[in-house]
Amino acid sequence: MTTLSDTTGSAVVKALAAARRSAGAVTSGLALTLVAVVSEEHVEEAEQAAAVAAAMHPCRLLVVVRRRLESESRLDAEVQVGGRLGPGEAVVLRMFGRLSLHAESVVLPLLAPDAPVITWWHGKPPYRIAHDPLGVLAARRVTDCARADDPIAALANRAEDYAPGDTDLTWTRITGWRGLLASAFDSASGRVRQGGVAAEPRSASAALLAGWLGHRLDAPIELKNSSGPGLTEVRITLDGESYVWLEREDGHNATVHRDGMPDRSLPLPRRELGELLAEELHRLDADQTYGDALGAAMGKPALNRREPGRIHKWLDPEDSQAAKEPALFASEPLSQHSGGRTRASS
Amino acid sequence: MSRRGAVAGTGHNPLRDPADRRLPRVPEPCALVVFGVTGDLARKKLLPAVYDLANRGLLPPGFVLLGFARRDWGDGDFADLAKKSAQEHARTPWREEVWRRLGDSARFVSGSFDDDAAFDGLAETLRSLQDSHGIAGNAAFYLSIPPAAFPVVLKQLERTHIADNEACGGWRRVVVEKPFGHDLKSSLDLNGLVDDVFTPGDVFRIDHYLGKETVQNLLALRFANTLFEPVWNSHYVDSVQITMAEEVGIGGRAAFYDSAGAARDVLQNHLLQLLALTAMEEPVAFSAEALRTEKLKVLRAIALPDDLERSAVRGQYAEGWLAGQRVKGYLQEDSVPDRSTTETYVAVRLGVETRRWAGVPFYLRTGKRLPRRVTEIAVSFKKAPHLPFARTDTEELGQNQLVIRVQPDEGVTLRFGSKVPGTYMEVRDVLMDFLYGEAFTESSPEAYERLLLDVLLGDATLFPRNEEVEASWRVVDPLEEYWSGSQPRRYRAGEWGPAAADDMLAHDGRVWRRP
Repeated sequence: MTTLSDTTGSAVVKALAAARRSAGAVTSGLALTLVAVVSEEHVEEAEQAAAVAAAMHPCRLLVVVRRRLESESRLDAEVQVGGRLGPGEAVVLRMFGRLSLHAESVVLPLLAPDAPVITWWHGKPPYRIAHDPLGVLAARRVTDCARADDPIAALANRAEDYAPGDTDLTWTRITGWRGLLASAFDSASGRVRQGGVAAEPRSASAALLAGWLGHRLDAPIELKNSSGPGLTEVRITLDGESYVWLEREDGHNATVHRDGMPDRSLPLPRRELGELLAEELHRLDADQTYGDALGAAMGKPALNRREPGRIHKWLDPEDSQAAKEPALFASEPLSQHSGGRTRASS
Repeated sequence: MSRRGAVAGTGHNPLRDPADRRLPRVPEPCALVVFGVTGDLARKKLLPAVYDLANRGLLPPGFVLLGFARRDWGDGDFADLAKKSAQEHARTPWREEVWRRLGDSARFVSGSFDDDAAFDGLAETLRSLQDSHGIAGNAAFYLSIPPAAFPVVLKQLERTHIADNEACGGWRRVVVEKPFGHDLKSSLDLNGLVDDVFTPGDVFRIDHYLGKETVQNLLALRFANTLFEPVWNSHYVDSVQITMAEEVGIGGRAAFYDSAGAARDVLQNHLLQLLALTAMEEPVAFSAEALRTEKLKVLRAIALPDDLERSAVRGQYAEGWLAGQRVKGYLQEDSVPDRSTTETYVAVRLGVETRRWAGVPFYLRTGKRLPRRVTEIAVSFKKAPHLPFARTDTEELGQNQLVIRVQPDEGVTLRFGSKVPGTYMEVRDVLMDFLYGEAFTESSPEAYERLLLDVLLGDATLFPRNEEVEASWRVVDPLEEYWSGSQPRRYRAGEWGPAAADDMLAHDGRVWRRP
């Protein structure tokens, strides 16, 4: 491991090249760069998850920690090849002061050449991705509405801000449920009449599941609150008293009830962050199904017809106007600036 | 009343969408019936693969594992055996709750293969599972049994009508392992029998090499890229070497191995399948039917050289040192006859008589007790027609080579010339390596898992069909005939085969690649 403090982007590039050389030819098969945007207190958690994901998908991992906007600009870096951060190459970048608003100046030369970039915000999702250059340069953007104060509001905001290539981990969390429902429907028949999804209150996953079911089944899906944990129940009725009913009370095992069939019990555990992230790295193209489900859940149809790319919009969090747009870089509250101090945009 | 609402049923599932690629392909509720559950393969590969599939969430809710063997067992005893083998050999982490579900739906039917009552019991068990587990008549029969037992078992399945799709109201499939016969005639008999009892489309012949990621990646490499296909022909390719080497001896398989030998055991299936995938034309689609059509064309175009004396070598290992240990020779292995002439090594030069491959030799070799376990396909390209360098500058430059490593270290190596750093001009071979496996291995399913899942899904893309097996025997039969009565050449355990194999290539002005 190489540690560099108060350094420059070029020095980090050199340190990475040196680390690669001394580690031998471990870097063949580099397929993508994963940029993890995370606040200092969650660095360890994000690193563990990224290491799990990197074990399944060889990638270059760049962990970007933005700190204290009001302090002097400074860059600290940690370079690792094959170690704590998984089998690939990893760089942890800590950016202080105004540098954190220009994180791309450090990140750009560190991206694996011509390989896709995935940016993952481990924290509150950004309000508008177009304001974060680290999101603008990525082909895939992964947020996690479950980490917002109000997940449903955050999800609505994701729909507002959506561009093809965005996904949210609250969607990834329901893949198991969707898989079980789809297999149950392999042998179901009849017209779908209605359905219901029950989950702990304000669950973005439940909203997406209901959105997906509503969109695919073209039927009204009702959202109900339960005491959790997480999602607890999905029930769909078809013509002729026939039904598909999935239940999970303990957060581990689901029971499938079908009319005319014996109950089946199946493991449906809530997955670790690393596994969720690995699922995201598996696919590098836009997830249309997510776009449809999000649109249906939030009443915004045709989300997939939006332009896939974004253009960076400069917004200085220290500008008075920025106060209207909450949590610009939501990973860390940057808005406690000392008032009155305004700067020209860079 | 509103007419909203999607309609499910009759093959249409509104929750499935090709664009939704997160959802795994999960088979319909079904039973997997294993004959010969106590065998080596069932315990080391099959049962662990079932657990791994369950652990990855790839088995349907109503999955039932049904064992059949001549043991006085109850369901619980079978579940215990399955649990033990899964714990010992599974690749995914052990999760008790996954096992509980799998173990709860394990059933066992006791009986011998000629016992009518036992098979009636099996049929009855399958019927009752339709109600209790909702398997809707779907069942796959995995025949992990000696070839000699095939006819009896198949006759029993026919007698009890449990192989009949229509009578069962679902699908009935059968999985057969190699050897698929021991020559063309026996394989025709076997295929006739199996295809008669089951419908030909429901017969899955497992060649676990085809389940390996790299083999499928060979198709991606060739047909998804523009870079390789233009040079994939006799204008640019000098020769192809396909090697499957094993470190191990024959282990406990003496009885089977001594009657088969390397040509029947490996050349007939694995090596010829790899050759077919390497040499075939582009299939019109990545589907079972289209792939089979192209593979079959290649297999039928394979030509044995006229001069078998010089272009087919078989060997038998003698005692020697391997990996720092002294090992026995083949004739000293337990239960091998003292005067056995069975080969443990075979090397052969084949031609593929098509416009694309005319004149390009395909060298195939396989052997036991070779220095390391390795399977690879090496495509050597012709030397550049003109070199604008002084002859001394390129003395160390060999042929360009593309090597597809099937196992271990799955990946691709490209060998080409590069200038040696310095003030003089010297061109030497360098290797550019792509490691497909390393970082991916944890998540990619094992070959057996993949193939088992394909059987339950009814996807025959990675399974050779009967015509392919028959075409392969047409290649191997004349070799066996030529060799019958002759003595295999000896080679020391731990060396790369008999000297005659080296001579065979030397005669063509080539050398074997050291894998």
